[in-house]
Amino acid sequence: MAYSFPEEVLEHVFSFIHTDKDRNAISVVCKSWYEVERWSRRRIFIGNCYAVSPGIVIRRFPELRSVALKGKPHFADFNLVPEGWGGNVYPWIAAMAMAYPMLEELRLKRMVVTDESLELISRSFKNFKVLVLSSCEGFSTDGLAAIAANCRNLRELDLRESEVDDFSGHWLTHFPDSCTSLVSLNISCLASEVSFSALERLVGRCPSLRTLRLNRAVPLDRLPNLLRRAPQLVELGTGAYSAEHRPEVFSSLAGAFANCKELKSLSGFWDVVPDYLPAVYPACSGITSLNLSYATIQSPDLIKLVTQCQNLQRLWVLDYIEDGGLDALAASCKDLQELRVFPSEPYDMEGNVALTEQGLVSVSEGCPKLHSVLYFCRQMTNAALVSIAKNRPNMTRFRLCIIEPRTRDYQTLEPLDVGFGAIVEHCKELQRLSLSGLLTDRVFEYIGTHAKKLEMLSVAFAGDGDLGLHHVLSGCESLRKLEIRDCPFGDKALLANAAKLETMRSLWMSSCSVSFGACKLLGQKMPRLNVEVMDEGGRPDSRPESCSVEKLYIYRSVAGPRSDMPRFVWTMKTLS
Amino acid sequence: MGRATNSSSSSIDSSSHPTVSSASSFPRLKRDLSTDLSLGLSISTSDHHYCPSTPREQQSDWPPIKTLLRKALAGEGNKCNDATFFVKVYMEGIPIGRKLDLFALDGYHALIRTLDHMFSTTILWAEVDGVLHSEKCHVLTYEDKEGDWMMVGDVPWELFLTTVKRLKITRVDKY
Repeated sequence: MAYSFPEEVLEHVFSFIHTDKDRNAISVVCKSWYEVERWSRRRIFIGNCYAVSPGIVIRRFPELRSVALKGKPHFADFNLVPEGWGGNVYPWIAAMAMAYPMLEELRLKRMVVTDESLELISRSFKNFKVLVLSSCEGFSTDGLAAIAANCRNLRELDLRESEVDDFSGHWLTHFPDSCTSLVSLNISCLASEVSFSALERLVGRCPSLRTLRLNRAVPLDRLPNLLRRAPQLVELGTGAYSAEHRPEVFSSLAGAFANCKELKSLSGFWDVVPDYLPAVYPACSGITSLNLSYATIQSPDLIKLVTQCQNLQRLWVLDYIEDGGLDALAASCKDLQELRVFPSEPYDMEGNVALTEQGLVSVSEGCPKLHSVLYFCRQMTNAALVSIAKNRPNMTRFRLCIIEPRTRDYQTLEPLDVGFGAIVEHCKELQRLSLSGLLTDRVFEYIGTHAKKLEMLSVAFAGDGDLGLHHVLSGCESLRKLEIRDCPFGDKALLANAAKLETMRSLWMSSCSVSFGACKLLGQKMPRLNVEVMDEGGRPDSRPESCSVEKLYIYRSVAGPRSDMPRFVWTMKTLS
Repeated sequence: MGRATNSSSSSIDSSSHPTVSSASSFPRLKRDLSTDLSLGLSISTSDHHYCPSTPREQQSDWPPIKTLLRKALAGEGNKCNDATFFVKVYMEGIPIGRKLDLFALDGYHALIRTLDHMFSTTILWAEVDGVLHSEKCHVLTYEDKEGDWMMVGDVPWELFLTTVKRLKITRVDKY
């Protein structure tokens, strides 16, 4: 006898369930739960825009309000994905314009967004509130003008790290005087000067504004006026942080910062002049997030600033901080959770700063909550990695980039297998790992054996042969994303673990040793995988099948092969 | 190189300095390089970075840093198509030096202002009165092509740019 709760009760219960994982879990319990769930889902995250089609999404979820989409593979951030590869959002916007007139939020990452798409968004969704374009490209300030002019209830416009055709700053004046709803505005990636008076008026009439990330073109002497109009700001990105030394500018700035009692996050700091840094000191005790990635100042000035921020949880900084600065950080900032150290001279193999493995060891010793690391350096030892692993078993994200590929442990001259092995062995909750230095198949054996919670692995210039890849694919139970470049991995491991690929979001391999023949075979046998070969040198079938392909991108999909491939991408067809 | 060479650059062999001859195709070039060229002075491409950057940096996919950071570190202002001339600047007592783009400055006054900011001090040079202050301040010197250390400011700016190799800021008492 069928017996279940009335739908209204189920719906009410489901309204308390928010995460994707939980929603996905309840939807497979039984048919009636599936139906109630799909009608009540308001928010969706699609990690690969080609894994599913707009039509399939719309058919299943008729009442979405918030959509997040990701396009290009992660390695696109480093120029490994050629121009024109795909990830165009327009088909999604066109379909959603018809199906979701009440759409409120769109969050896109690594997608191609044209002005046409932005214009369509601005006209189609009357209650549109949130637009986040993360590492996107393909649009200009004309498209932004349409968003500003037409989205009456806009709350968030966040262009983080997108590449925009910046014709002028005039687009900002398209926000009507009636627009008072802005909560978050991030224009830090734009080059042109926006109209300062328009910006000041906009900031002044939006009482709920909590995030303001300016672009480099906003000069420092304009900042006090902006801050005085928004003393409630929680997150601020400055423009260029330099000016001629004038005491009245300094005191005005310091006063404005002192007045912002809610500030928690600071960024920007292009062209920073150390003399002006003390102006932010009044705000430092509340700061939990500090992004100094563009601040080309030396260690002493960095130390002075960072040690003021006793409640710091996240620090992004250039390697000018050096080991000494990291020692000071470890001593002062006991709440630190995330550290990213970027290279100031990435193409200089010699090294220009006194930043070594020791700095990272210090922070791992001194900061008990540290769990997320991205560290660029020029030398490393197994001993240091073992220390870090033992100090921080709570590590969840560990990305190390030793700038010169295949660098050995500089003390023992051995590969760094043992060091990374210690990381995966001790850090049982590790979700993300990026490897570098000289590595043999041994490190992959350690990873396959221990890294059971690992979801994303990035590998470059490592390994000896197929066994390495086999260890990872057969051992890492939670693996979702694997990206590999310049490794001697070939056909055997890939074909032996074909079924594994259906349990993952995607696999990227470039400059490896996977043959065209193996790609064809994989494509033929695995109907739910899209096997895409990228080769800018010409048709892969014009060469022998044993020739290695340049780039390979494999992802699971219920939408079948995509139809928008450029001339340099070939999809391996499934045999019916 | 397949580019038309400007007649004023004919004294430079275009195959060894290809970027110099193409400088004429960048209308916003700040410096008039014809002065240097007519003086018969060559600009070694190993010291200077011309925008667009060297092919390695332009196409670079290693190390893995994002485009915006890469551009910011390369010193691109966003619309930078001009030639650059970075020299090292050391302050006595500080082992790590800085780099300064002399082509981005229009003269000695801009140079002194920039260094004042960069190193948080007062810089003395040829134009300043010879009275040496007792407070903390420094003297700006440069190493010229002959390896000699000279005080900055005695020669015209244009000539200075053709002869300077690097800068040093020394303490007054040492000088």
